[in-house]
Amino acid sequence: MSEYEKVLLKNVGKPNSRQLATYVEGGGYSGAKRALEHTPDDVIDVVKRANLRGRGGAGFPAGVKWTFLPKDREVTYLCVNADESEPPTFSNRVLMEEDPHQLLEGILIAGYATQATVAYLYMRAEFTEQYHIMQKAIDEAYEAGYFGKNILNSGYSLECYIHRGAGAYVCGEETGLIESLEGKRGWPRIKPPFPAIQGAFGKPTVVNNVETLANLPHIVNRGADWFLGIGPEGSSGPKLFCISGAVKKPGCYEGAMDFSVRELIESDRFGGGMRDGLKVKAVMPGGISMGILTADELDMKMDFSDPAKYGLLGLGTASAIVIDDRTDIRQVLRNVARFFAHESCGQCTQCREGTSWMYKMTNRVERGLGRMQDIELLGEIPAKMGMMPGLSICGLSDGAAFAISTIVEKFRSELEDYVRNENDDAVRIALEIAN
Amino acid sequence: MAWKAIDRVNAPAEESPSLSEPLKEKIRGFFDRYPTKRAVLIPALHMIQDDHGYVGWKAMEEVAELLEITPSDVFDTVSFYSHFWTHPKGEKVVMACRSISCDLLGADRVLDECKKVLGIGDHETTPDGKYSLMTEECLAACDHGPCLMINEKMHKCVDPANVRKILEDDANDKLDIPRSNLYDGANRTSA
Amino acid sequence: MAKIILNNQEVETREGIPVLQAALEAGLNVPHYCYHPGLSVVASCRLCLMEMKMPHPKTGELGWAPKLMPSCQTPVRDGMEVRFDSDKVHENQERCMEFFLLNHPLDCPVCDQAGECHLQDYSYHFGKSESRMVDQKHVTPKKDVGPRTLLYSDRCVMCSRCVRFCDEVAGTGELCITNRGSKAEIDAFPGKPLANPMQGNVVDICPVGCLLDKDFLFQQRVWFLKSADSICTGCSTGCSIRIDQNEDHVHRLKPRFNPRVNQWWMCDEGRFGFKYIHDKNRLTRLKLRRGESFESLRWESLAETVRYRFEDVAKKQSDKKIAVVLSPFMACEEAWLLVKTIREVAPEATLVLGPVPTVEQDERFPVGATNGDTKFIIRKEKCPNRNGIELIIKHFGGNTETFDAFVEQAGAGEFAAAWISGGYPTEWVSKDFAKAAGKIPFKVVHDLFGSALTDEATLVIPACSFAERDGTFVNATGVVQPFARAIKPPQGCKRDGQFFYELAELEGLYQSPTVLGMMAAEIDEFKEVYVPPQLPEHQH
Repeated sequence: MSEYEKVLLKNVGKPNSRQLATYVEGGGYSGAKRALEHTPDDVIDVVKRANLRGRGGAGFPAGVKWTFLPKDREVTYLCVNADESEPPTFSNRVLMEEDPHQLLEGILIAGYATQATVAYLYMRAEFTEQYHIMQKAIDEAYEAGYFGKNILNSGYSLECYIHRGAGAYVCGEETGLIESLEGKRGWPRIKPPFPAIQGAFGKPTVVNNVETLANLPHIVNRGADWFLGIGPEGSSGPKLFCISGAVKKPGCYEGAMDFSVRELIESDRFGGGMRDGLKVKAVMPGGISMGILTADELDMKMDFSDPAKYGLLGLGTASAIVIDDRTDIRQVLRNVARFFAHESCGQCTQCREGTSWMYKMTNRVERGLGRMQDIELLGEIPAKMGMMPGLSICGLSDGAAFAISTIVEKFRSELEDYVRNENDDAVRIALEIAN
Repeated sequence: MAWKAIDRVNAPAEESPSLSEPLKEKIRGFFDRYPTKRAVLIPALHMIQDDHGYVGWKAMEEVAELLEITPSDVFDTVSFYSHFWTHPKGEKVVMACRSISCDLLGADRVLDECKKVLGIGDHETTPDGKYSLMTEECLAACDHGPCLMINEKMHKCVDPANVRKILEDDANDKLDIPRSNLYDGANRTSA
Repeated sequence: MAKIILNNQEVETREGIPVLQAALEAGLNVPHYCYHPGLSVVASCRLCLMEMKMPHPKTGELGWAPKLMPSCQTPVRDGMEVRFDSDKVHENQERCMEFFLLNHPLDCPVCDQAGECHLQDYSYHFGKSESRMVDQKHVTPKKDVGPRTLLYSDRCVMCSRCVRFCDEVAGTGELCITNRGSKAEIDAFPGKPLANPMQGNVVDICPVGCLLDKDFLFQQRVWFLKSADSICTGCSTGCSIRIDQNEDHVHRLKPRFNPRVNQWWMCDEGRFGFKYIHDKNRLTRLKLRRGESFESLRWESLAETVRYRFEDVAKKQSDKKIAVVLSPFMACEEAWLLVKTIREVAPEATLVLGPVPTVEQDERFPVGATNGDTKFIIRKEKCPNRNGIELIIKHFGGNTETFDAFVEQAGAGEFAAAWISGGYPTEWVSKDFAKAAGKIPFKVVHDLFGSALTDEATLVIPACSFAERDGTFVNATGVVQPFARAIKPPQGCKRDGQFFYELAELEGLYQSPTVLGMMAAEIDEFKEVYVPPQLPEHQH
């Protein structure tokens, strides 16, 4: 667990950290100024060299994403993904609430690098205070000339608008976000064409996550080598980690991607250990979509490559929910299944029907009315959905599949024990009533 | 017809508010922000809901006209998002988070307490029209679960024992920070 | 042209079309709901997934990609290899069918779609017989979404074809999707129901029993229906249609795919405009005037009577004229036989095209479309064969008149005899015409319904409706299209083609292709008749 000078959260807790003056005083907007003195390609180059991997969940290198934009484009849109809806993730909230100008500077740098004309900051509707904070910061930034026409006399112009979502997890998927930006239901689009070629309003579009953009001022200021020097190869740079659940210090922390889930829970730098003498039963370390770890799997490293070795979908949002040993796994299973049933957009058959079927079953299982077949089905259905096997348009169903299948696989004996001890007559009667 | 079918042929009988001219003007103020008028729909719906408390049939029809789309396009979008409601809600909408973190920290006890104090169930409104109760998938404040949101105000680390106190506090939906002039900063291109 | 390998066999197809389309054209039964060749591709039903060979990202070696690909969304590229016959593909199809039926009410016994339902067919071919869901099903409501259309949400598979039709073809966008996830439904805005004049198509393209035609609701089990390929007579577009009948009663009209004319669609005016066929007021008696009243005439005597009487007038009243008024509802063959007959006995007979019912203007779809982006036109000319009749008149030449001039001259007493064919579905005899016709001493009136004209006629011949006839129409753009008969004429009537055939003193039974052959020998335009290609068996 290496130490380095904190950058992403360095202003958190400072008095008036939301104000432009405070931000500028601490060296803010110097990265943007420096970027504007170089060519956009120079900026893309440094971000590519830093191998800044997207912080939104998929981990795709941001610099590479930018190079997919067609060379002869006239209009480019930048969409900032602040639709943070993956339970239990709240790092974007912290970034926007505590240091809005860091994000705005990142937007300006990304906008310049991609030669975007308009940046839309897509914020989920549940961000209410954060919306007012960001709007105030944008107003300040406009006044100081960081947005608008001819920014800092560079000849580059960028408008920045907040576009608020309205309560739909799927709008965090980049094409769902674009549809929502266009005023439609957030049904993810079929690809190709990819957003870089035909995105918002049919024009080349880049969608980047808040935390990804918050890294840009630091990369521009400190260089790619600084970034590559933090954390292991392939997972370099500062990263935010969220931890919640049964720990002493739930919260959002910054670190390199070089420690384990165990350290995330136990270290005083992060979770500070389990509270009230509880023991770890399970952890969902990357947001619920990534899947679950048992107490025996806490050595998993919080980086981009290790989660796959533990049967997880990926690092995701690096936000862990720590589940203690008093918790009934059926409650976790039902909660997760309900989330995906509620948030499935309804477009692809497997996801629309599969998530709601699984919710019905998990709900019944939690009420003590499960059958062995339900456990079988809960193992089988997730294997037959998702974008990875090509069965759906977006990754939401992969998330549902990993969340539910890993719980069922890794806690199968506990689930089976519950079912075995049930009253068969009660199950039979309940099912008869249902039909 | 001998069986029950939802009537879409006739206009709904219930009354719902129209868009005022200032509200329309506010919506038009957003036209410069996007290359299409349709893209103004979601901001417009937020403005309407902020003003009317909900997005009624009439408002949907009128905003469709304003944005040159069909009323069904508006209905489609409105119904997709869980934060728009097509029927009146209470003055204050209480949203109880039920995401995994809040759930494991006792969100169900908080929700039960809300139901008890308000005397209503999920998705219901008190007879005096003051409160509506809803559940929410995740409020992105998992470090402070269980959470309650009352209109725009977030209440963190809610103890079921404190729910009554929170709900009885008149200022329970007042933000601690200055509220931006919601959606007024539309034309900033000249700045 | 492109060659692809489909299920291990080389298939010739067209570059750039969806692989699904190529597979259907190659005769494969690839299940699909959301794909429709006339609508945009959404690739959401996930039923048509296939395996495709792709280069390995590292080695570049061709091999089956681990992911399934939507065949509707993948364009044909020369040399590509795909397959639909693998376990992986079959497993997905089976799984999808289970998902589609999870919340389906299985009310086939009372569902109009039963028998032509792609939930039934696909679940038979690709699904399992039992659902493994034991929990309560979602119940979604029935909706009255339009004057002609009912929506049973609980049978919906969310293919969104109907929504896309209203957006992309009709251009009126009445239907939408509401809610999300498994609660998603098709809906219309209250008070803004389906109102476009093409709404019947949403019922056709609905692959299941969700959207239903109120007119056809509970009328027939579809397996009792027998079909004939016909042409719609509602306007001069001349849509290819299928007439569905049982026991000589027409129950519905459905559009047939015709790439040169109507694509997959037809309008409601045409679709529901057939009811006059079974009107009880139709003329069904061949009758001849004797003084003030009529008496029945045997069909066997018709030819002789007509030929004799016209010849007689031509000879004895050579100072006066004889008219043949041809209706734009007649088939080319019928008109040709009639003119041939009359001109044989009265060579100077004047040929007249009857009134062409016309409204103000064409209706183009999508609404607001201009020439380039028009997908469908309801034409202002409300008859099927003005072009064809004009061809016949031009071919025979000699004396011709416009209808207006004919009425004027008849009113002035210039005509001694006239053959007047009607066959219009609605009243067509104007007061002026009736008055003028009163001045024609000898009149043969051939029509569907009684009128001032038939009251005064010398000879009344009951006509048949299009469903009872066969022949050829020439549509507004000059496409020559044959149509077949679907039902027997009502008792008392005789198929028009048949008595015209006898009138022309031809032996045997009237067969429209035979007559068409005779016409084609004389008139170039009839050499080429357009019969649209059949849709691939498994396309819908």
